[in-house]
Amino acid sequence: MKAEVAMLIVPLAFVAVIFQFTPLLTRRGIFFSATVDPDFPRSADGRRVLRSYRWHAALWAILAIGLAAALLPHALPLAVLVPLLLIIVGSALSYWLKFREVHTHYGQRRPEIRQAELSVPPAGARFNAWLWIPPFVALALTATYLQLHWNQLPERFPVHWGADGQPNRWSSRDPLTVFAPVAMGAGMNLVMLALAWLFTHLSRNTIMRRIAVRLLEVLLYPLTFTFVVVAFLPIGLVVPVWLIPAIMLTCVAGLIYWSYRQIAAPAIADAVPEPQSDSYWKAGMFYYNPNDPAIFVAKRVGIGYTVNFANKMCWLVLAGILMLALLPAALGILAAKK
Amino acid sequence: MAGDLTLRIDLDSSVPAYRQIVDGLRILLVNGKLAPESELPSVRRMARDLGVHFNTVAEAYRMLAEEGWLHLRHGRAASVVCRDVPNPTLDQMGEFGQRLQALIAEMLAKGIPAAKLQVEMRRAAEELES
Repeated sequence: MKAEVAMLIVPLAFVAVIFQFTPLLTRRGIFFSATVDPDFPRSADGRRVLRSYRWHAALWAILAIGLAAALLPHALPLAVLVPLLLIIVGSALSYWLKFREVHTHYGQRRPEIRQAELSVPPAGARFNAWLWIPPFVALALTATYLQLHWNQLPERFPVHWGADGQPNRWSSRDPLTVFAPVAMGAGMNLVMLALAWLFTHLSRNTIMRRIAVRLLEVLLYPLTFTFVVVAFLPIGLVVPVWLIPAIMLTCVAGLIYWSYRQIAAPAIADAVPEPQSDSYWKAGMFYYNPNDPAIFVAKRVGIGYTVNFANKMCWLVLAGILMLALLPAALGILAAKK
Repeated sequence: MAGDLTLRIDLDSSVPAYRQIVDGLRILLVNGKLAPESELPSVRRMARDLGVHFNTVAEAYRMLAEEGWLHLRHGRAASVVCRDVPNPTLDQMGEFGQRLQALIAEMLAKGIPAAKLQVEMRRAAEELES
């Protein structure tokens, strides 16, 4: 029971910590998605707004953890999903309120200067296809190895471990369960490949594009490593069980730190010639600009892109990405039921 | 190949976006930074980068094509053509004279001295011709 509570609190606390730092993951001159003086976040008013938001976000986290503890003896999926939803929706609501406050009282207006590069093809727009090949090769080699050693795979093998390090879920040997991790890894990689390609070809050529694509390229390798290790589970753990979450957490924390360093650099505020007006940002989070033909727009919080919800094509792109993401997830659920 | 040239426009300006695109590209064409046979970005890419409607860029390209600077082909990139310097008609000379007079009047009204204005105009003309 204690281990279950701990397993539940860790991801909730992780999400809560991310929300605590969210307002800092932004470009200079942007604060709670509103356009402000670059020095405003360090002013007394700026610090007060940030402090107030953090208290609200912490309150949502405490409520969510309390709810999780109350729900835990009953349905497990609910005890995870409902508190997680509470943190996300509650913190997003607090963020929106701060966006309104900052925009109304401290907001600034910047000139709508736009810039287009005239070189064909644009500099820095090349897609590094060779970087995407090794992960797919690693997954293909894993599948080939499993196929060649099919008869040596045990009839029953562990696929899940508890907090005490003991296996608590088992699976039987059949093509779906054995090859599911490889297929899921290939699916995930395809989603990331699609995103990198879309960013390269359908976003404005800015420094943000180079950072976002680099982020996907880096994340690709630990993710593939995870799927390869999971695919080898039928023949036993090839690495200690703690190594996978440790690598993933280190990578995510490292990438968040790297992203923060990149987007907080003074030069990037001017290097991202995206539409400036706050009026295009609904609730500070959703970009809606019918006059902008761009589908992908640099986010104001965090690194990467969001879509222009006023562009009908964005729904097609979102549906495509969702389908690509759901296919491996469906495969995983099917394999788990076997 | 147009090198690492960039085009900047100001959407807050009272000058329409298509006009700013035409003016900005014409400067690069006149001073030779956009050389004959260079290809310009597609209408879609230029519109996306500038955050303006496709028709705005298409209209700007069409105007420059009518002036003889660009060659437009369906489904292909717009390319810069080698253009003979035309002989301006009397009507055109009259129109430019009027526009120049209006611009000079505006600058004088804003307090820019005539001498400074002469220097600036000569410098701009020399920059474009070089």
